Amino acid sequence: MEQSKKSLNQQSIIYALIYGATYLPAAWLLKHQLVGQPVSVIIAIVPVITFAIFIYKYIKAVGAMDEVKQRVQFEAVVIGFALTAMLLMVLFLLGLCGISNTLFFGYAYLVCYCWLFYFIGWIISKRKYGV
Amino acid sequence: MKNTIKVERAKKNWTQADLAKHIGISRQGLNSIETGKFIPSTMLALRMAKVFGTTVEELFQLEEEEEF
Repeated sequence: MEQSKKSLNQQSIIYALIYGATYLPAAWLLKHQLVGQPVSVIIAIVPVITFAIFIYKYIKAVGAMDEVKQRVQFEAVVIGFALTAMLLMVLFLLGLCGISNTLFFGYAYLVCYCWLFYFIGWIISKRKYGV
Repeated sequence: MKNTIKVERAKKNWTQADLAKHIGISRQGLNSIETGKFIPSTMLALRMAKVFGTTVEELFQLEEEEEF
């Protein structure tokens, strides 16, 4: 039982890494327009598929965790979501004022901020419950 | 909410890891419950009471300011 929980956790981490390993090269390839449009579409879809698989594995792993760890994950996701929503709102409102900085706040960076906010939430929640 | 998990554990001479194994949670999770940082579900509280051969009411008590 404990072994299977560990394995589910490891699987979700592995799929997160696979997602990262497909997202970054895909973004690089698409940014530099090294391939034609039909291939570009396929390349753009690959990270979406790996992300969907990662989310499925993550949900399965959270389902197998004990209730304290589930709470930590829940709070991490809530904090991550709330901070990301806040950032999007600020960027949208600043965009309406004609202030936008796509160098640091483009779509590609928003994904990174989203992950950063999740990890901030995770650390806060881990410290709160001492796990 | 206060609890007597540590006392009950001492009676059985169990470590946190032993109890955690008996009730099917992680040792860190149990530590969080024992120190009052996390309030367990009814299911887990019942499971804990069962392994100690006691009741949930004896294992967990409301603090005075939590009582209505």
